[in-house]
Amino acid sequence: MIQLFHVYKSFGSKNPALIDVSLTVKKGEFVFITGPSGAGKTTLLKIIFCAEKVTSGQALVNGRNLNRIKDRELAFLRRRVGVVFQDFKLLPRRNVFENVALALEIAGLPFSMIRKKVHQTLRYLGLANKEGYYPPQLSGGEQQRVAVARAIINNPLILLADEPTGNLDPDLTMEIMALLRQIHIRGTTVIVATHSQELLRDTRRRIVTLSKGRIV
Amino acid sequence: MSITFLRYFARQAMANIFNNRLVHLIGVGTMAIAFLIFDAFVLIFLNLNYWTEERGKLLTMSIYFKAEPERIVLEDIKKELLGFPGVTIKGFISKDDAMESLRRQLGDKAGLLDGLRENPLPASLEIVLSRDKSGDSTPYQLKRRLEGIDIVDEVQYSQEWIKRFEAFMEAIKIVGIVVGGLLFLAALFIIINTIKLTIYSRKDEIEILKLVGATNRFVKIPFLIEGSIQGFLGGSVALLMLFLAYIVVMSRVDLRIGFASLDIIFLPTHFILFLLLMSIIIGFIGSTISLGRFFRI
Repeated sequence: MIQLFHVYKSFGSKNPALIDVSLTVKKGEFVFITGPSGAGKTTLLKIIFCAEKVTSGQALVNGRNLNRIKDRELAFLRRRVGVVFQDFKLLPRRNVFENVALALEIAGLPFSMIRKKVHQTLRYLGLANKEGYYPPQLSGGEQQRVAVARAIINNPLILLADEPTGNLDPDLTMEIMALLRQIHIRGTTVIVATHSQELLRDTRRRIVTLSKGRIV
Repeated sequence: MSITFLRYFARQAMANIFNNRLVHLIGVGTMAIAFLIFDAFVLIFLNLNYWTEERGKLLTMSIYFKAEPERIVLEDIKKELLGFPGVTIKGFISKDDAMESLRRQLGDKAGLLDGLRENPLPASLEIVLSRDKSGDSTPYQLKRRLEGIDIVDEVQYSQEWIKRFEAFMEAIKIVGIVVGGLLFLAALFIIINTIKLTIYSRKDEIEILKLVGATNRFVKIPFLIEGSIQGFLGGSVALLMLFLAYIVVMSRVDLRIGFASLDIIFLPTHFILFLLLMSIIIGFIGSTISLGRFFRI
């Protein structure tokens, strides 16, 4: 599903963010990427969802070589990759329904189908009574669930979560992690980047550790 | 393009204008000022063109007689002149009328004329030739025909003036195109930067849309619609301000100068529609150029 071969990424003359990273994530896997702040976790995820291009090496997602992907193909690939961010990245002037519907509107689905799918997803995530609310009116946990709803509504092949619980208290953290596990059970490949050792305790999932841009 | 997309684009454009109304208001205001300068130039240029063309259409010709013509001869000449297309008789000036006119012009110094034993001024017939109806060659033909009449001494019309006038009109047109073009570019530059501010205030939104898989076209279209609406509103406000300024100027000009012969016309309907269309196009082009830098990833 995801293959990285000797990936380097540098931003200008500073130390490279990623150094010779090779990684394969199979379809249906649940992987944690961990490491201290500045280890390159976010950069790695950004490369997978094409927000950054590799400086050298090869990155393939769902069989697509990201070095050679065109703008239009990139947009279609991103529809198969759901992303959840630490800061939620919700549109503050659109309500919950509109934020979640965005991914379906982009895909050009008819409105009747959009309405049905959004209602189903919001019910699944326990947000059925919040669809008219705007993000600033919601708690952190609720905002993160809206972000998850937006990320999964298109039934993505891959779900990337960058510090999804970074802004949440322990109870909400467990709630969001339970949600990610449920999504994984439905067949989605899930990659979670976190520096939190709490999340990794007792997990039987695969853990990839990054340190100063290298896999250790 | 599906109904879902059209519905989305229209709704987003309107919602964005409403949600960012302050930024849009500033944008429309800035555009209105830029358009107003351009529209005012168009109005001045149009009036100058209209005024000089109107004046250029009429050519005054003076026919000087060797002696005071007899009434019957004068009537014959008038009849013949009216046979030429576009000719109207302005009036006959007898030798005495000419002298009286000269005395009036000299004012206090009219006494100088008292020493003359006889009136040296010739009688003349003034005619006006409409160039629209007569065509360019008629003044020459008319002059040649009149100079063939025994009692006609000389025929004068301002040929040089016509040539100068035509050269002036050509220069005006070139200056108009250059200045108009520069003003157009200045307006476009201001508008591009105004729209850039509007877009910059929403760069997070653009980023999120792209991250969830929006194509560049999907992100751009609502902005292009907004830019076009902004252009239309800016253009409309500019025309409204110009019209109000026109009314004020017209009322003052009548009072202060009494320039009855100098009509100041407002922009005709097809010009107004053209300027509005141009405002929309500039808004659209401005948005397209401004969006360019946000689509490099």
